[in-house]
Amino acid sequence: MMLALFIVLPLVCGFAAWILGSRGSTAGRWISLAGNAFNLVLAAWLWIAQASGSLVPVEGTWLALSSMPWIPAYGISFTLGLDGLSLLFVALTSLLGIAAVLASWKGIQEKVAFFHFCLCLVLAGINGVFLSIDLFLFAFMWELMLIPMYFLIDIWGHEGRHRAALKFFLFTQIGGLLMFVAIIGLYLAHAAATGLRTFDYRLLLGTALDPTRGMLLMLGFFAAFAVKLPAFPLHAWLPDAHTEAPTAGSVILAGLLLKTGGYGLIRFVLPLFPEASRSFAPIAMWIGVAGIIYGGFMAFSQTDMKRLVAYTSVSHLGFVLLGVFAFNVQALNGAVIQMLSHGLSTGALFILVGSLQDRLHTRELSRMGGLWSAAPKFGAFGLVLTLALLGLPGFGNFIGEFLVLLGAYRASVSVAVVAAIGLVFAMVYSLRMYQLAFHGESSDTKEVRDLGAIEIAALGAMIIALFWLGIFPQGAMDAASRALGGILGILGGTA
Amino acid sequence: MSASGYLGLLPLAILAGSAILVLFGLAFARQRYETAFALSMAGLVAALASLFFAWTGAPQRFTALLVLDHFAYLSMALSIGATIVVEFMSFAYFRARREENGEFYFLLQLACLGCAVLASSSSFASFFLGLELLSTPLFTLIGYRREREAGLRSAFMYLILAGVSSAFLLFGMALVYLETGSLDITTAARAASGSASFTVLAGLALMTVGIGFKLAVAPFHVWTPDIYDAAPAPATAFIATASKGAMAILLVRFFAPAGIAGAGPFAWIFAAIAGISMFTGNILALREGNLKRLLAYSSIAHLGYILVAFVASGNQGSAAVSFYLVAYFVSNLAAFAAVAGLSTNEAEADSIEHYRGLAKGHPWAAAALTASLLSLAGLPLTAGFMGKFVIFEAGAGAFLWVLVVILAVNSTISIFYYLRVVSALYRPASEAGTGSMSPRPAMPALAAIALAAMAIAIIVIGAMPGSLMAFIREVARDIASNAAAAL
Amino acid sequence: MAAVSFEYGLALAAILFILGLVGLLTRRSLVFMLLCVEIMLNAAGFAFIVAGARWGGADGQVMFIFLLTMAAAEVAVGLALILVLSGRVPGAVPDEAAAGGEPAPVDMRSLLDTDYQKDAQAGRTRP
Repeated sequence: MMLALFIVLPLVCGFAAWILGSRGSTAGRWISLAGNAFNLVLAAWLWIAQASGSLVPVEGTWLALSSMPWIPAYGISFTLGLDGLSLLFVALTSLLGIAAVLASWKGIQEKVAFFHFCLCLVLAGINGVFLSIDLFLFAFMWELMLIPMYFLIDIWGHEGRHRAALKFFLFTQIGGLLMFVAIIGLYLAHAAATGLRTFDYRLLLGTALDPTRGMLLMLGFFAAFAVKLPAFPLHAWLPDAHTEAPTAGSVILAGLLLKTGGYGLIRFVLPLFPEASRSFAPIAMWIGVAGIIYGGFMAFSQTDMKRLVAYTSVSHLGFVLLGVFAFNVQALNGAVIQMLSHGLSTGALFILVGSLQDRLHTRELSRMGGLWSAAPKFGAFGLVLTLALLGLPGFGNFIGEFLVLLGAYRASVSVAVVAAIGLVFAMVYSLRMYQLAFHGESSDTKEVRDLGAIEIAALGAMIIALFWLGIFPQGAMDAASRALGGILGILGGTA
Repeated sequence: MSASGYLGLLPLAILAGSAILVLFGLAFARQRYETAFALSMAGLVAALASLFFAWTGAPQRFTALLVLDHFAYLSMALSIGATIVVEFMSFAYFRARREENGEFYFLLQLACLGCAVLASSSSFASFFLGLELLSTPLFTLIGYRREREAGLRSAFMYLILAGVSSAFLLFGMALVYLETGSLDITTAARAASGSASFTVLAGLALMTVGIGFKLAVAPFHVWTPDIYDAAPAPATAFIATASKGAMAILLVRFFAPAGIAGAGPFAWIFAAIAGISMFTGNILALREGNLKRLLAYSSIAHLGYILVAFVASGNQGSAAVSFYLVAYFVSNLAAFAAVAGLSTNEAEADSIEHYRGLAKGHPWAAAALTASLLSLAGLPLTAGFMGKFVIFEAGAGAFLWVLVVILAVNSTISIFYYLRVVSALYRPASEAGTGSMSPRPAMPALAAIALAAMAIAIIVIGAMPGSLMAFIREVARDIASNAAAAL
Repeated sequence: MAAVSFEYGLALAAILFILGLVGLLTRRSLVFMLLCVEIMLNAAGFAFIVAGARWGGADGQVMFIFLLTMAAAEVAVGLALILVLSGRVPGAVPDEAAAGGEPAPVDMRSLLDTDYQKDAQAGRTRP
């Protein structure tokens, strides 16, 4: 029942924020902040409980399960399950949720109540995606998080928001519908094989599928996750959406929504379709590599700072795709760490860029410069985040990329070698961005107000988490490894 | 005929009787408009209530003409419910236009009776009677606002088209009857499904054309946008929901038990119609700037979705058709309630520009209209999502993968234009100002109630569809067994 | 009794039906359109009678009576609509055109297309 709180609480907070916040402007902010903080505490408590061993798996690798009937006529139930993997992502959701609320504290002044309603609804949907182990419920949550996200971009975004919001929606929606069709296909295949009509993930595992059908269904799932991730040719929505979204929207997009794609690959594609994913793996790995190189290259040539950060996401999430399909424990662990640290570092960068834009009213790198001297706190935080972005040891990003490359090397030498070139790109674009924004001289940045307390709190928390991931990755890896081990066991892969 | 047999007929009897009462009320009462509204509303509510008593007696056959099974009662409940909502939204609509002619309610009730007869017909004769009982009042309803010339023209156009489609349908029926020797729907359909004679095929094809016109599926859809646009909003709501719904139910009753829908040449024909309708409706809607016309195009696509479930046939298919109809009814009624409620005396609220800034002036109406549009687009937490799901499930279960993928692609296309409207609701009103909407008048109470009720229904069905789905599956199982028993 | 083979009757019905359909597509006058629809409906009715005769049942004739009634109702509404329209659309009714000078275009197009009407009133022609 506790698991439902992760979904219900943001929902309730969202409605409360909408109704109570429509009079005064601060009520909405406080309510959604409180909701997310509570969820974070809950996640932290679960974390400590499982790390100290007082919370033991109840069934397989599931630390907690809750289930109640929803639509019994079609074998659909409201089943939530939490294992180490989902716990990590739920914790990330709460943390970034807080960061998003803080980031919009000053920036959002219009329709504040409705903003927080949408924000909380997205977070509820994302938590639902990470927790649901009924495939129908999963698809439901998957779609649910899109609509409020669309509103976040469409109402509070920047100049080209309508187009960007629509593009985001159409891309993710068509992927989501293909997945929905594939889910129903899997459900029917399972029903035909066993006579049991159910959407329960645990029962659907190990459904016997003939190779063609397995491949088609796998591709249906893959389509949705690859769009979200985004994998290379399907990323077209991402730069626009990230650039045009308000700061909180970008944080959630980059920090969480993209992660649902990677999470879906690990949780659903690999274990549900082991044979099909095995035969698809080489292609998927090359898609990942293409994303790494392409994203890095495009990031290098951007002049819009937010767009630049957006393209680095394409590059970093390429590593995730690579790691997921390398089929070994290092690579999978690496992919998980990479997702977590990318969520934190890119989220923090978006907050930084957002607060810069609030002050300078531009995102153009050419009009920045000299911030190091004009606003030293900006410079310091910018430096730390840039170093995280380029994967300096000590940050989570380094661990993630390193583990992915290590695992990929074991799977295919050529893929790993080409992917490693991406690291060079990362070095170049990160330093170029830092150079242009913070060094040099510019007349525009003379009068800049430095970072405020709220922003420092949000950024600081995220950077501490990044360091924690970079210096003590074992905690996160231990939590995830039991779940990942179960998945690898299904795959019959090398541990 | 036992007492319970007549009890089963009660809903139809109440509908017909109260229609006559309304007519008397119009003749003798002083407050004609209010009396007609009250009497008709009382009749509809009584008919709805009588369904509970009739329910236990089902299934039974009433003479050769009517089969009163649970499926029929379910669709009666739908039509009557839709009519009640339409009356709610029309009360203030006509009053504001100083066209307080209570005959509207009489005609609406007759059309509702037509729907009910159509849904329970078991013979070509009652099919035809129900259909005409439905269509003839519609001619007048479309052209009801006599000062609007466009309405009159469209009414005439609808009359001609309805006549032609009836002629096709009847000629087709005559051919089928000629070959099978039975006017009974199930018997004829079964005999026809076994026969490969040219006459029967031609007959079924002609019937398909006739039914296609009524359902407004492509390529018989051309009339839809004009009629939707020209008719008063409440009448449009009725055409979009009750009229098409009753026809879709009949389609299931006629074709599904005999397996004509699921196999053979007609499966291909209906599959093609479904595919073409989805694409035509959605693509035409993409660039439409008039909300009523947009809903017309979208209804073409929605009937295409329904046909996917229809082609899937079997219990799953019938249940999916019925469930989707429920979702489609509530979503459309909510949308039209918003249109009717927000129309002013000078202008129908039809241009999308008209809705800009609605969220500021009427936040609740904007929220309800958003729910309705999102439901039509099939997004989660709305009835439309669950409707899409049951159609996907039925289609995939019948291995109609091509249709299912077309459906998925089309839902995505459709989101494009629904979101265009939704996005307009939350934008600031245009500075240029169409003028007519500022200041926005308050929504009439009855229309607001209708809108709120439908919006709540959308969310409730979207969040907790379990019992409704189970119920509809149970009912849909009925029609197959009844068809078997009828032999 | 030497009965006429039902194929002949059916052929007649089909011819009538097609005649009505062709008429509907070619004629533009509202009254003629209404007439053509009636012809199509009666063709269907005739087909029912033929079919009824084949099976020796009354069903076909019953359907025909239903059909006649319905056609009457439809014509009643149709004519009423034409009457109302005649006040608004120039030349919707042939008599009116005959009464006063040059007959205006009496067609469906004029009925459904507002711009066309305005053009016609202003004496413009459109391709």
